[in-house]
Amino acid sequence: MAGGQERVLRRRIRSVNSTRKITKAMELIAAAQIPRALARIAANRPYRDGVRRVVLEAIEGDRFSARRFLELPEHVETASVLVISGDRGLSGPYNNQNLRAGERLVADLRARGTRVRLAVAGKKAAPYYRFRGIDVEQSFAGFVERPTYADAQAIARYLTTPFMAGEVDQVLLVSTRYHSAGRQAVEVRQLLPFVLDEAPEAPAEELSGYTEFEPEVAKLLVDLAPRALESEVFSALLEGAAAFLTGQQRAMAAATENADELGRTLTRKMNQARQDAITTEIMEIVGGAEALRSGR
Amino acid sequence: MATLSVEVLAPEAVLWRGAARALVTRSSEGDFTVMAGYAPTVGDVVSTIVRVEGTEEGEVRFCVHAGFFEVGPGEAEGETRATLLASVAERVDEIDVARAQSALERAQGALAAASSSDDPAAYVGALEAVARAELRLRAAAAR
Repeated sequence: MAGGQERVLRRRIRSVNSTRKITKAMELIAAAQIPRALARIAANRPYRDGVRRVVLEAIEGDRFSARRFLELPEHVETASVLVISGDRGLSGPYNNQNLRAGERLVADLRARGTRVRLAVAGKKAAPYYRFRGIDVEQSFAGFVERPTYADAQAIARYLTTPFMAGEVDQVLLVSTRYHSAGRQAVEVRQLLPFVLDEAPEAPAEELSGYTEFEPEVAKLLVDLAPRALESEVFSALLEGAAAFLTGQQRAMAAATENADELGRTLTRKMNQARQDAITTEIMEIVGGAEALRSGR
Repeated sequence: MATLSVEVLAPEAVLWRGAARALVTRSSEGDFTVMAGYAPTVGDVVSTIVRVEGTEEGEVRFCVHAGFFEVGPGEAEGETRATLLASVAERVDEIDVARAQSALERAQGALAAASSSDDPAAYVGALEAVARAELRLRAAAAR
């Protein structure tokens, strides 16, 4: 009988509504966390720019001593690649965009005969690459939504040590830059050797003066390079966290809207089914009464 | 008039920013007292107590474990800007002595464990942690 269909629909509506509650909650949680993530980016900016400025000054001060931090060998024997993605899914295209960009980069490097040492941040990354037969040398996970400076230090140490020892020629970073709420873009950047035009607005006349270095540039850079990398990784983690949350908020908002839509459609169907059942029943009663009357 | 503007920056925050008479810091090459008109300099900062002297709130001290400093011309005419960049730093008047004490004990425990193992990185790390905790307590005791 038609009542069966009504029951099925009622159950589906209930399930859609409870899913909607979950996606709505996730949307609200992500939305609530975004301002904090953005505040952390803003609080980090003076330090990040300061470190970039100091690196630039040290390099400009003595390019000869800085050459090992500046020159990329003609053939890159080994490159370290760090891909930053998320710990969790349900964040729209955020994870996949980063992971796919990383995959492309690895393929490019390999095509050029470069050995790749791949490190990833975010729980989602290692299974992705393992499934595609790409070795992940080191996986950092569990902090991607709320990175601490210590997390960045651990990653930076892993990246810098082989570079300083001469085992790695190039250190590359794949991450999402948070430009604004509406614009986030995956970027591939070279962290080491340093890329000069990346430094913040640095008026040339300000740097042309004679700067003293304590200790001298060669020694200073040995200390400075790892710190600079920590700072860059930290900034990238902070921006990644904001991009993740934005992606999650947007994805969950869309999911909530879909659930609304689906709930409306199903409710309409259910009402119709119920009406049909009632009509059928009335017809049966009327038919029965007719039969009784004519039988008398 | 020659002025000095000082910034003390950590990765997560601007710890302090304002006008001062002098910034006293220590690099691997020796102590520095940066005042207005100081020559452009870039240097490292070793584990020490950095002092910002002659500010509106008097002398402000920071416990800095490692970092860099930069002196250059500021935005305004005749202004000298000194920036201290520290990956780990805190205001001395905000140090929690009880926490620092327990951190020291933890670090000493880690050092004892590391000295019986073969991991040089862990040993160095534990040594640094002990030094950090001791500096913090020393700074707190002197305030």
